[in-house]
Amino acid sequence: MKKSLLSMAVAVTLSTNAVYAADLMFTPGEDSRFNWASYDALKSVDLSGETVSAFGPWMGDEKANFERVIAYFEKATGAKVNYSGSDSFEQQIVIDTQAGSAPNISIFPQPGLAADLASKGALTPLSNKVKEGVKKDYAAGQSWVDLATFKDSKGDDNLYGVFYRADLKSLVWYSPDNFLDAGYDVPETMEDLKDLTKQIVADGGTPWCIGLGSGAATGWPATDWVEDMLLRTQPAAVYDGWVTNDVKFDDPRIVDAIKEFGWFARNDAYVDGGAGAVASTDFRDSPKGLFQSPPKCYMHRQASFIPAFFPEGTTLGLDADFFYFPSYASKNLGNPVLGAGTLVSITNDSKGAREFIEFLRSPIAHELWMAQTGFLSAHLGANPELYSSDAARKQGEILRYATTFRFDGSDLMPGKIGAGSFWTGMVDYTSGKDAKTVAEDIQKTWNALK
Amino acid sequence: MITSSKRTPLTYLVHATVLFLVIMWTIPTAGLFISSIRDKDQLSVSGWWTALSTSTQQLVTRANDPSTQTLEGGLYLIQGNIFDGAPGEVTKFGSSSLKPDAFDVGTKVELKRGQTLQVMKNGDYTFASPTEWKGSRSSRIFYTAETPPRFTLDNYREVLSAEGLGQSFINSLTVTIPATIIPILVAAFAAYALAWMSFPGRALLLAAVVGLLVVPLQMSLIPLLKSYNLIGEFFGVGSKTYVGIWLAHTGFGLPLAIYLLRNYIAGLPSEIIESARVDGASDFDIFRKIVLPLSFPALASFAIFQFLWVWNDLLIAMVFLGNDAEHLVLTGQLRELLGSRGGNWEILTASAFITIIIPVCVFFGLQRYLVRGLLAGSVK
Repeated sequence: MKKSLLSMAVAVTLSTNAVYAADLMFTPGEDSRFNWASYDALKSVDLSGETVSAFGPWMGDEKANFERVIAYFEKATGAKVNYSGSDSFEQQIVIDTQAGSAPNISIFPQPGLAADLASKGALTPLSNKVKEGVKKDYAAGQSWVDLATFKDSKGDDNLYGVFYRADLKSLVWYSPDNFLDAGYDVPETMEDLKDLTKQIVADGGTPWCIGLGSGAATGWPATDWVEDMLLRTQPAAVYDGWVTNDVKFDDPRIVDAIKEFGWFARNDAYVDGGAGAVASTDFRDSPKGLFQSPPKCYMHRQASFIPAFFPEGTTLGLDADFFYFPSYASKNLGNPVLGAGTLVSITNDSKGAREFIEFLRSPIAHELWMAQTGFLSAHLGANPELYSSDAARKQGEILRYATTFRFDGSDLMPGKIGAGSFWTGMVDYTSGKDAKTVAEDIQKTWNALK
Repeated sequence: MITSSKRTPLTYLVHATVLFLVIMWTIPTAGLFISSIRDKDQLSVSGWWTALSTSTQQLVTRANDPSTQTLEGGLYLIQGNIFDGAPGEVTKFGSSSLKPDAFDVGTKVELKRGQTLQVMKNGDYTFASPTEWKGSRSSRIFYTAETPPRFTLDNYREVLSAEGLGQSFINSLTVTIPATIIPILVAAFAAYALAWMSFPGRALLLAAVVGLLVVPLQMSLIPLLKSYNLIGEFFGVGSKTYVGIWLAHTGFGLPLAIYLLRNYIAGLPSEIIESARVDGASDFDIFRKIVLPLSFPALASFAIFQFLWVWNDLLIAMVFLGNDAEHLVLTGQLRELLGSRGGNWEILTASAFITIIIPVCVFFGLQRYLVRGLLAGSVK
């Protein structure tokens, strides 16, 4: 009986197993908005019979999007690229590189981890040609090169990766209809934003939805808030010093930035559910309050990926829109932008891997994902017309024309801080602990690392 | 002694406690099941216990856009139904997010510039305007509705129709079945030897096996994978193979298996084994003809343990088998369905019930033997 049950299960599952083919989304040469020249250049590379294994954090829809981009590389060069994604990428890549079974290409969501592996000699340095190329092709090219330049096991600086797919973090999401109903305008400066916050409370509404919950990573949305506030209250040099701990975590300037975040998050009247709900609300659920009836809140500060968690049927531009998280008019610090990105590195050198890196830094690889969803690019050669939505195009422009672009600090800090005590410290802070004490605790963890 | 014919307060207490425990243990499963057949939008806003009753909800919808307007009796009309065919009953409505429940159902409400809005109980709405509706932005209607419970199999459909699920089902079985049989086979021999064969250092060997129980398997991942790489290179095969993961699971399961089985086998009556020896049976005969049949309950219960553990495992499969589509196990496939940032409740709940099918089959299949074995031991 057991046998027949098993064979039944096998039969049922076999019938649901579908064979999928990788077709090209757009026929090469057809749509003149694409940069087909860079695709044609790829055809001169012959990699038939070679297999490139790639491993990264993208799963589900993002994986499908990326595979559609890969299909062009496969078609042009004849290579086979096996991409697999995992939500525990950070742990698995460490195991695989140490055991010596690393994939050819690794896609790091956090440069901090890549720097760590580079210092252990697990990454292959890229050529000067790539370095010059990135410097020339990317908006603020030097800063993208710097972000991917790490020390190897001997202490020499090398370029270890190319950024592919950026995220924009300094965004505030809102419902244009709700703003219209209540007669609110999109604030242009931080002063206006604070006034608007007070105004909404005076009108009987709740201005903000903030949620820090994210399972084991609970607290990370608050680190973005603090980073954004630091860039808006201090010059970028302070930010850079803070990331490397040249400016201590308990420096008064940092503590002030934490308090700026507290101005929004620790006021019961300003946050949906009161300050106590901030740490316990899941970040994936918190934007939903924007669209409820009556609205639970009017604004939500989160990165460019968050529309994936809006209720089904929400149309960007119609039901939801965003504005730049503004800077203080009085401080004269320009318009700083906080962002993040995924870094593509070689963990197991081969000819195919090098060509794949070349492909990912060519305009066509960026355009092909831009034309789908959920992709921002800092590549100057990629045609912004190809963004699939106005919202994405607007975000792409913010990214391209930012006066100051800074990478998510918590991703650059050592893992114990950026993915540890900074997160938990922020949870403590929103639960009522004093900003100074929290900052001192985090600095203590950092001291212990040295 | 309490006899079964006479009911004392203690029996009632026992029954009550059993009932209580059963309810406590079934509630989470029931909640999971109800969640798995709920609509995914309802799932994210209310708990499963509210699913069975009609709920009052404040909702918002967007009216049809101006391109659908019709001209009737000098008025430009935009008409439609809030529920779009689904059952429901409107009690109040409004046209602004500031006052979502301003008007009673059925009233005709004046909006700006002579425009009116009327919403009926069944969800039909009419926007009327003396001038043509312009623009592409359609108005929103806020309403308070009594929504009857709504159940759907969409969640299951979504999981079952996922690409590659069938392949991963087979992969999981390919991993699990050998990874259950091999450790039982090895452990049964070892347990017999440790219980009934005397050789020098037996106690020490047993202590070493018990000591291995405390080694966390995470510690051994990297060294093990390293040696697989070396061996794989020697034989010219990759390091991530099915044989590799069978051996890994065998290794991780053996200490507990040997410990459990040895304790059980050592507890068998020594008279039987000694008389078999007197009759001239070899150790292998005793093991095969006496010990193995008698220890079936222990074997079956360990098989259940090991099967469940391997079936539910994600970590070892990811490390020793990899993430690529041909080798992805069921747990890995389901995790993939959740997307990069997770948070899809409806998929989690439905997939929990789909993955549970095989372990439940195994449990009920083996449980028959388990009960029989226990009874055979007790009424000798």
